[in-house]
Amino acid sequence: MKRLFLTLAAFSALGALAQTLTVYSGRGQSLVEPLVKGFEAETGLRVQVRYGTDAQILAALQEEGNRSPADVLWLNTSGALGQAAAKGLLRPLGESLLGKPLGFVPGSKAWVPVTMRLRVLAYNPNKVKAEELPQSLLDLPRFAREKGLRVGWTPTYSSFQDMVAGILALHGEAKAREWLLAMKALAPKAYPSNPAMLDAIRAGEIDLGSTNHYYVVRFRRAGYNLGLHHFKEGDVGNLALVTGAGILKTSKNLAAATRFLTYLLSPKAQQYFVGNIGEYPLVKGVVLDPNLLPLEEALAKSPRLDFEKLPLEQALRLLRELGIL
Amino acid sequence: MTLRLPHLPGLLPFLLPALLTGGGVALPLVYLVLRALEADPLALREILLRPKNLELLWNTLALLLGVLLLTTLLALPLAFLTTRTDLKGKRLLALLLALPLALPGYVGAFVLLAATGPGGVLPLPRLEGYWGALLVLSFITYPYLFLSLRAAFLGLDPSLEEAARSLGQTPLQAFFKVTLPQLLPALLSGHLLVGLHVLGEFGTVSLLKYETFSYAIYLQYNAAFDRVYAAWLALFLLLLTGGLLLLEGLLLRRLALARTGKGSSRQAKPVRLGPWAPLAYLLALAPVLLGLALPFYALFHLASRFPREGLGGLYEALFHSALAAFPAALLAVGMALPLAYLGVRYPSFAASFLERLAYLGYAIPPLAFALAWIFFSLRSLPFLYGSLALLVLVLAFHLLAETLGPIRSALRQVPRRLEEAARTLGETPTRAFFRVTFPLLWRGVAAGGALAFMGAVKELPITLLLAPMGYSTLSTRVFGYTQEAMFAEAAPFALLIALLSAAFVGVLLWSERRF
Repeated sequence: MKRLFLTLAAFSALGALAQTLTVYSGRGQSLVEPLVKGFEAETGLRVQVRYGTDAQILAALQEEGNRSPADVLWLNTSGALGQAAAKGLLRPLGESLLGKPLGFVPGSKAWVPVTMRLRVLAYNPNKVKAEELPQSLLDLPRFAREKGLRVGWTPTYSSFQDMVAGILALHGEAKAREWLLAMKALAPKAYPSNPAMLDAIRAGEIDLGSTNHYYVVRFRRAGYNLGLHHFKEGDVGNLALVTGAGILKTSKNLAAATRFLTYLLSPKAQQYFVGNIGEYPLVKGVVLDPNLLPLEEALAKSPRLDFEKLPLEQALRLLRELGIL
Repeated sequence: MTLRLPHLPGLLPFLLPALLTGGGVALPLVYLVLRALEADPLALREILLRPKNLELLWNTLALLLGVLLLTTLLALPLAFLTTRTDLKGKRLLALLLALPLALPGYVGAFVLLAATGPGGVLPLPRLEGYWGALLVLSFITYPYLFLSLRAAFLGLDPSLEEAARSLGQTPLQAFFKVTLPQLLPALLSGHLLVGLHVLGEFGTVSLLKYETFSYAIYLQYNAAFDRVYAAWLALFLLLLTGGLLLLEGLLLRRLALARTGKGSSRQAKPVRLGPWAPLAYLLALAPVLLGLALPFYALFHLASRFPREGLGGLYEALFHSALAAFPAALLAVGMALPLAYLGVRYPSFAASFLERLAYLGYAIPPLAFALAWIFFSLRSLPFLYGSLALLVLVLAFHLLAETLGPIRSALRQVPRRLEEAARTLGETPTRAFFRVTFPLLWRGVAAGGALAFMGAVKELPITLLLAPMGYSTLSTRVFGYTQEAMFAEAAPFALLIALLSAAFVGVLLWSERRF
């Protein structure tokens, strides 16, 4: 048995010697793998990926310190990427990369946005008419109360918490508290995940709930009739959630890492994000399906704020204080 | 026998591995302290002294007691029914009853939650809060107790009970006065595993919105991206665990359970259930339904809502899971043997300290465990970093406690006299152990190994962070799909986890026949 271990250890050490690009990914394997294959085929480079949640990856990188084998960091949330930048894990990127996406380039210039998701309101079109829906997320509790609609939410889900942080950043603590209390007064049903909540809307258990746009897109692509509502331009209910990638300071493979980021922002890879999981691309020249807004319009929906510095901790404290988390 | 200086040379083959094991398990503790020392005192005060902690403490204890009670009510009668009665198909039943272990908690709770409540596929009220957490955790963890008790029932010497009966005790009196005390070590070690799970589990409680300590730790890592205060909370949780371990140690003190008679033990005559048999099946039905059938039914139902893309990598993931879990289980058993042997045969502060340490290692949140090993291995054994060997080693250290209970219980049932006889015939302690004691430990070793194997197959944070690059296992694939909410794709991998574990437990139960 011991000999087997030693042999295996030796093999993996040999593998590390070969010139390979190492990616640490908070995005799921099912999503990343086809893109990595495409990149390998196009460039002839070899890529190895370590998967985990954003938090796990970030913690692991900090424990590895300057011994980290990682070249590229690819995460789900701008909050986690902002943390990586603030902790000095990332190398500043050049203008050739930062100039590619159509928006959301962070102040730190340490990572580049790759795709965008929008917060939206999902609803049951048999219960609610599209033209009646409120123009702002902040009016949602009043609207639901007046119409006697049943509301769902996902307080444990990171994007929901980001949105509460967005309310804090844009409207201040008093307004955020007021909104959360008004929501709570509706006795909303809490769901552990967005698909569970959308399934409940589909099944008629509730009538509406705020979610990420691609979940609704996926339900629609599977043939379910769910309504998708965007609030007015710049409303916090349309908050953009940006995924992104950066190059680690420890990278010894700068050229390959830059190529990988460039590949993620190529129309071909961006088309894959749209087709496979229904996210918005951040470069031109990608075909969108009818479940998505035209790109210019989608980009204008979200309020502008510093996505790296969403007050997430304050949001969590508030949610816990009000007994929602 | 207590551990004295003159014993040391002969015991070296036990002491050395035991010390190494203890060191390996203690490493993450050192890590937690290192991280905790980085804290800013002011912020620390805010997080440690807030009144919320009392509420968390109360919630944690209430859940702990509830789950221990409910799992005992389930596991004790079921272990009895599947070992000591003439129930038909009891071996198959035992397999089904052990299988909820195969379902990772993060999948089970998620799926049950998605499937219950109005609009769900199951006609049940939504599982939430204390009662939800109590039910889900109990049905996920009772198999630890069940397997532990089964091994103990099978190792019981029936002559003790028969002696009690011959002295005029009713069967029930004999059970409580003679059998139950014999089961105490198994009961306690099972309780310990269940208890540690309840203390450490955050996936289930966070989904069911029940706030415990582990949930607070989880939030600290995941929402605040913070390792320092998470370390403090984890250390606090370890204090709780320490209390639990102390309690178990006190209860177990001076327990002599081995057979004293001559000759070899034999199997007890099965109790005839007669008209009670249907009731026995009914009792077994609840955990099989709630712990096994419903989660899988719900998983597939949820999966069927979405079209599935091609299935790739099933065999590879299966192979990888087995390749990591099997040696990890083997290694964990190998580590547990000297620890248990020293603890049972040479009770002393040092021996029980090492043993307790193993349990503490189990109670450290797996993410912290993995981070600690990243930290230390890169600084001292960089060539091991990212190798399968390291993954196997760390999994074994983490899961060691799961094997310890069954082995320890089995060891307590082996008469010391057999070993002493071998010693008087001139054998060293080591040779006496391997020639006399070890062959009698088979059942405990197998049960412990099976637990560790299943634990390794479904383990997630350690596997994600320490496996070789590109090494995807069944559990990392399930995680990867559920992360993107792709249940249809996750379902077959989750099913394979259960099947792999089932095959393992099946072999185990089948092998019981020979003894």
